Amino acid sequence: MKRPSLLFVDDEEGFLELYRAAFGREGFAVETAASIDAARDRLAAAEIDVVVLDIRLGETSGLALLREIKASPKPLPVVLSTAFARYQDDFSSWLADAYVVKSSDLSELRRAVQRCVGSAK
Amino acid sequence: MTTRHLSARAVRALRRPGAARHLRDRGPALRTNRPRRVLALLRRVSVGLETVVEPEVAAWTVLVAFTAGEGLGLNRAFLLLTEGDQLRGWFGVGPRTREEARELWAELKLRDVRPLEHLTQPDPTTVEAERERHAHLLAALSHPLVKSCSSWRRAFIGRPNHPNPCVRHWAARLDSRELVVVPLMSAEMPWGVVLADNFVTHAPIYNGTLEAAETLAHYLRAAMERAQLLRRLQEEKRRRMTAEHATTLLETARALAHDLKNPLALAGGLARELLSAPPEDRETATRQLALAAHSIQRAEQRVAELVDRLASQADHVSLAPVEVGELAERVVDSFRPLAASRGVRTLCYHPSRPVVAAAASSSLERCLENLLSNALEALGPAGGDLQVAVKEEPAWVRIEVADNGPALPAALRADPFAGGISTRRGGTGIGLASVRTLAEAMGGRVEYDEREPGWVRFTVMLRRWS
Repeated sequence: MKRPSLLFVDDEEGFLELYRAAFGREGFAVETAASIDAARDRLAAAEIDVVVLDIRLGETSGLALLREIKASPKPLPVVLSTAFARYQDDFSSWLADAYVVKSSDLSELRRAVQRCVGSAK
Repeated sequence: MTTRHLSARAVRALRRPGAARHLRDRGPALRTNRPRRVLALLRRVSVGLETVVEPEVAAWTVLVAFTAGEGLGLNRAFLLLTEGDQLRGWFGVGPRTREEARELWAELKLRDVRPLEHLTQPDPTTVEAERERHAHLLAALSHPLVKSCSSWRRAFIGRPNHPNPCVRHWAARLDSRELVVVPLMSAEMPWGVVLADNFVTHAPIYNGTLEAAETLAHYLRAAMERAQLLRRLQEEKRRRMTAEHATTLLETARALAHDLKNPLALAGGLARELLSAPPEDRETATRQLALAAHSIQRAEQRVAELVDRLASQADHVSLAPVEVGELAERVVDSFRPLAASRGVRTLCYHPSRPVVAAAASSSLERCLENLLSNALEALGPAGGDLQVAVKEEPAWVRIEVADNGPALPAALRADPFAGGISTRRGGTGIGLASVRTLAEAMGGRVEYDEREPGWVRFTVMLRRWS
């Protein structure tokens, strides 16, 4: 049985390291990308089940990638993960399937990912 | 401060029986040098008004000219201003009673005070005290506007039996036999009225005095309008400064959320991970510990930087010129693929020349993104049309986002931007509240309308950059 594949998009290598360790240990196939362009490449090359997307990616906004993913013929589930609690107030984020404010406790992110993996099946 | 209109000889004469008759008899003599005196008075008043920035000081200056002995020599004068359908007493100069007149004029004589000499250096405390002194009488002079006031054109003498009820009211309240009434008209109704009389001396009021009073009253209106405009500009400037500080605060809060929360969440997450599942190889554990330590150090640095930035931004403005047409085009372009996938046609109109607003680019983008998302969701799977239009007004730039989706529920039309309730057609409504917060933080405002049948339009209005 194929392991669910997650793509984490975050411009901080530390978070990508954390996600690789935490979600890899739980049996997910973990792909990472530190920029929107790298994320596009991974999406084109690998079969991804769920995208976990940071909103602020350097000087660019992850919301643009969110819109691209949702406008594609096969839109993927997307979990927005960011330090900005206020983005929950913005309509641009309503396309996301889940919204998680970054925390040292990954349990909320885990729950969101599990929900999305379940819905993607 | 009050004024006098009499010479020392006249003050003495006033205290004798038949004083009023004596003064009336002096009328022609007083008129001998009238043209030159009136011209000098007008010049002095206009110079005094040149630097006036307070409406109260403008009123005081002109009413002193009405009542000063070297001025028009009337006993007292009042300014009434139109507020709604009322003419309200606003300022007064001169004695309130005959007894007070005798005391004040005698005191002025004793101290050799010449009110006109103070016109160019008004004392705000004195001006305020004069207004307070007349507060009761000013309130009593207030009267509803009546239709016959619209026929007023020129200054006139009002008497207790005058056909206009306003004039009769003023003559009664002032116990005045002859009342100078100078209407200042706007759109066929009084903008204000200046009243003056000789309630102590009963000196006659000549046509020349009436004409000069009319000229002075027009000076007063011009000065007050200018002063009121300046006051509004200052208030607007204060409001804008507040909005700019709010924007700065907002941006700082965002920076704080991201720049502190990110490293702390990362350090904490790595620590938890190390605790719950220690890596088997020492190299991975060391790398993760180093990342956690680096994150905490970064958080410490950011705290120090943010404190410095807050201090330096305390008086820093953050609004900047933003070319709205270009920005709108860019944001609409970023929505086109999503809109097309949902069968929504998007159009963006803006003038070919640059339309520049005072804004924070990121905040304006957020406003537009929210409005576009709102419209897309409202249109739903059936699709439709979404139009963005950038328009110019003399002082404002309008950014309109309209869709031909379903109308807002009736209960929400009063204030779709209120937030906290489900104002979004199918959503949380917080996004529209966010649009208002951001627009107001930029010194702008938001509007909603369904004037055009079949269309729902949300508008962000921002001040033009000047």
